[in-house]
Amino acid sequence: MSKVLSNKKMIALLVLPGIIIFCLVILVPIFMSVFYSVTDYNGIDAMKFVGLTNYKKLIMDDKIMWLSIRNVFILSAGLIIIQHPLSIVCAIYVDKAGGVWEKIFRVLIFIPSMTSVVVTAKLWMNMLDPTFGLVNKILKAVGLTSWCQAWMTETTTALIAIVLIEIWVGFGWSMLIYYAGVKGIPADQIDAARIDGAADGHLITKIILPQLKPIIRINITLAIVNALKMMETVYLTTNGAPGNATQFVANYLYVKAFSDQKYGYANAISVVFIVICLIANFITKQITAERGEK
Amino acid sequence: MIAEKKKKWKRARLLILLSVVALLNLFPLVWLLDYSLLSNSDFYGDSIMKLPAPPLWSNYFSAIVDGKFFNYLLNSLFITGITIAVVITLSICLGYALIRMKWKGSRFVYTLLITGIMIPIHTTLLPNFFAFQAYGILNTRIALILPYIAFSMSLGLFIMSGFIEGIPRSLEEAAVMDGCGVLRIIKNVVIPLSKPAAVTVATMTFFNCWNEFIMAATYTSSDTIRTLPFAVMNFSGKYTSNYTVQFAVMFLSTVPAIIIFILFNKQMTKGIIAGAIKE
Repeated sequence: MSKVLSNKKMIALLVLPGIIIFCLVILVPIFMSVFYSVTDYNGIDAMKFVGLTNYKKLIMDDKIMWLSIRNVFILSAGLIIIQHPLSIVCAIYVDKAGGVWEKIFRVLIFIPSMTSVVVTAKLWMNMLDPTFGLVNKILKAVGLTSWCQAWMTETTTALIAIVLIEIWVGFGWSMLIYYAGVKGIPADQIDAARIDGAADGHLITKIILPQLKPIIRINITLAIVNALKMMETVYLTTNGAPGNATQFVANYLYVKAFSDQKYGYANAISVVFIVICLIANFITKQITAERGEK
Repeated sequence: MIAEKKKKWKRARLLILLSVVALLNLFPLVWLLDYSLLSNSDFYGDSIMKLPAPPLWSNYFSAIVDGKFFNYLLNSLFITGITIAVVITLSICLGYALIRMKWKGSRFVYTLLITGIMIPIHTTLLPNFFAFQAYGILNTRIALILPYIAFSMSLGLFIMSGFIEGIPRSLEEAAVMDGCGVLRIIKNVVIPLSKPAAVTVATMTFFNCWNEFIMAATYTSSDTIRTLPFAVMNFSGKYTSNYTVQFAVMFLSTVPAIIIFILFNKQMTKGIIAGAIKE
């Protein structure tokens, strides 16, 4: 047995293809990033070593970077405070529907989450169009003409719009994950509470929510990860505008790299971004582990 | 009798409520479908929704023919299909070698590969752009498939290794007694038992690749190899002011994913849940 399992040639055969791909596409690029981040490379002029200048500028002087990080927090908060309660309630109701209806609603509610970001971004740009958009048309139809505005070009409404788009896009995912949590609660506990005459609200707060705790933790982690990795929706709608009010870290990195061609600086953002992600992951893991022991 | 009636009414109320939620949630897509069957002048009009009478199917004709819809669809199917097959194969091979086989450094390699889950793809865009240029694979299908595999492999390995750990060792011992080597153990014991994990890996990989945009936008430029999201991008460049035709392409490009989701609903729902919880 152990002879078979320590066959060196076999191990190499099984492991090397994966390791090579990982190194080629993930590990080597990260080392390249670290290398370029201490230079002023711009693709044209000769590269010069500039030490930690890029990092210093990024952390001390770059308001846009801090604005992007703030927006990541706003988006996570939006997902956790608005999306999650809605999806928990929705998950409970879908579970209650039972039979064919349960399946139908499960599919229907998940459909927007299957739509590509190009479609959702363009769709919402059209719906929020100041002259022909659906949102302003609806406001006009109900007599709120004064509320009509250019949603995507005003500082506050643009950010709110982006958060709402993300809430809509991710609703199916978070609903489905909470739904799995609700399904995992033993039916006899719910039935017992029902027989005792517990009202729906009581049932949710006293029986369902406490049992959902691990799932809530997973979903909160996912919300933070998704907010950190937020890029495509911004890139395809406002690209950070107006000003940099809707800028996010990943998109800022892309702008610096591919529009401004500041390769050195962009790579410094990359490295800081990776560190932020690793720290965020570490903190959420820590919190999860601590609570899990209880 | 009264209790029965009350129960029925309660259930009806629940279904109505859910229908309202589903409708609100789907409304943007319904609006998109509605206007994709209308003429462009309707988009400039005042109405919120309009019955398409008669529906303007020519929008969809333009979407399919001028939008080269099937070209993009085939590219998406090809690239996603290959990626899923390779990711499953690699995660089984890696999972078995890292979890069950005995060698120095297996722990280190495992931790290293798993860290890939946390690395945002965006941080590798710029260096990979240069690297792919140097390898000469920029604007080829490999420039898409390679990073898609790399970024799905870490999660694939994580899911698969959790599963392989749970396979009883006695099964493998029996296989060795019968004179099986590692490859036969994988083929006869591991693969048949890890089908549920493979479904999860396939589902997560599908979602990672099918609608992927920013890597494809960065590493490729020619429309003959690009995937479905670019049907929309390319078309909106051609028909800038004809909104309803653009809507037809947008709606059409979401249909394949919806069909795939309905066809494999049971497996994919399980896959999404298992994948998300593992992550």
